[in-house]
Amino acid sequence: MHLIINHSSMVPIYEQIVEQIKEGILKQELKENYPLPSVRTLSKELKISALTVKKAYDALESEGFICTVHGKGSYIAPVNPQLVWEEQRKELEQDLEGILQKAKRFDITKEELKDLFLLLLEESSCWK
Amino acid sequence: MLEVKEVQKRYGTFELECSLTILDGQITGLIGQNGAGKSTLFKAILDLITLDSGSIQIFGKEHHELSGKEKEKLGVVLSDSGFSAYLTVRDIIAILKNMYSNFDLSYFQKQMQRFQLPYDQKIKEFSTGMKAKLKVLIALSHHAKLLILDEPTAGLDVIARDEILDLLRDYMEDENDASILISSHIAEDLESLCDDLYMIHEGKMIFHEDTDVLLSDYAILKMSEEQFKKLDTQYILKACKEAYSYACLTNQKQYYMENEPGITIEKGTIDAVITMMIRGYSL
Repeated sequence: MHLIINHSSMVPIYEQIVEQIKEGILKQELKENYPLPSVRTLSKELKISALTVKKAYDALESEGFICTVHGKGSYIAPVNPQLVWEEQRKELEQDLEGILQKAKRFDITKEELKDLFLLLLEESSCWK
Repeated sequence: MLEVKEVQKRYGTFELECSLTILDGQITGLIGQNGAGKSTLFKAILDLITLDSGSIQIFGKEHHELSGKEKEKLGVVLSDSGFSAYLTVRDIIAILKNMYSNFDLSYFQKQMQRFQLPYDQKIKEFSTGMKAKLKVLIALSHHAKLLILDEPTAGLDVIARDEILDLLRDYMEDENDASILISSHIAEDLESLCDDLYMIHEGKMIFHEDTDVLLSDYAILKMSEEQFKKLDTQYILKACKEAYSYACLTNQKQYYMENEPGITIEKGTIDAVITMMIRGYSL
């Protein structure tokens, strides 16, 4: 398992953990039944508060990515690829919605926004 | 684990007046300037000074009613305390064996090895770092349930501090449901170790928050005077005028990130929060 915590990032630490574990699951680096370190152990290893780790585990559990057996610890839950795909789409939609609202605030027309988006898409190095 | 309820203690013009709770399995940090009352509070908890009013409970019992056996479940580091400097570690081991029924020799030896501490050298010949490590080690040597550590890292360099914090982290991993109350004026130490934090100033608790919440939701907002006048202040805790700008402390970073795109937002750190809590004014 890889976890890289950026202490100067504006993204809360628990969110960084959640995102990276999700990513690991998605890339199949973290397989079903893989045991996660205990809350205290991860807190020790990452040098962060145990409550932060607990918050991350709770979030992952409520979204169905891990399951916790009382007294035994947390494990990676069986993944449903469809669910993961939907999850990502939902997240993307939310981000885009935020951009739409911002564009509205800045008085940018639909056409301008579309042109801007296409331009960025064209110049983006993400798909090269 | 530990509950300090409305404790009051007056020394001349100084007055300690505070409450604090430490839950099972948690590391609680106490932060404050020199003379803020940290050590007085530690002494009060350990029943080394009498209280003017209020109560302190440890393991669910009044702190002055703890039996010797129950006191063995405490591990303590105080700033000006320790064994005679003319003793060696070998002498101290003999004392600890007789003092604590739960003294764990193999743990103690393992950590002695880890820190490369000598058995037969007098403590007065130890370096500051060695003395500090030994003090913490003694507090951890007998499977204490509650560790009360007053400035265990004071005066140490960054590596030695980190080694002591790692020792505490290992301890928390191995001991189920042990709790720690630790004070320091080095915010970074507490930030990376503690689950929640209390801030004491002039004898009073001025702030209590989970470290996680502090680091994720608190922020310092910086802005011009015009921006300050128009600012939505519902989540502003403190404000402070600086040379060419205004600074505000918020506990709702997300709100301002979304609604005030023009202002500069810095992540909250313990140091920034303390400074604002003490120097800033309420709106």
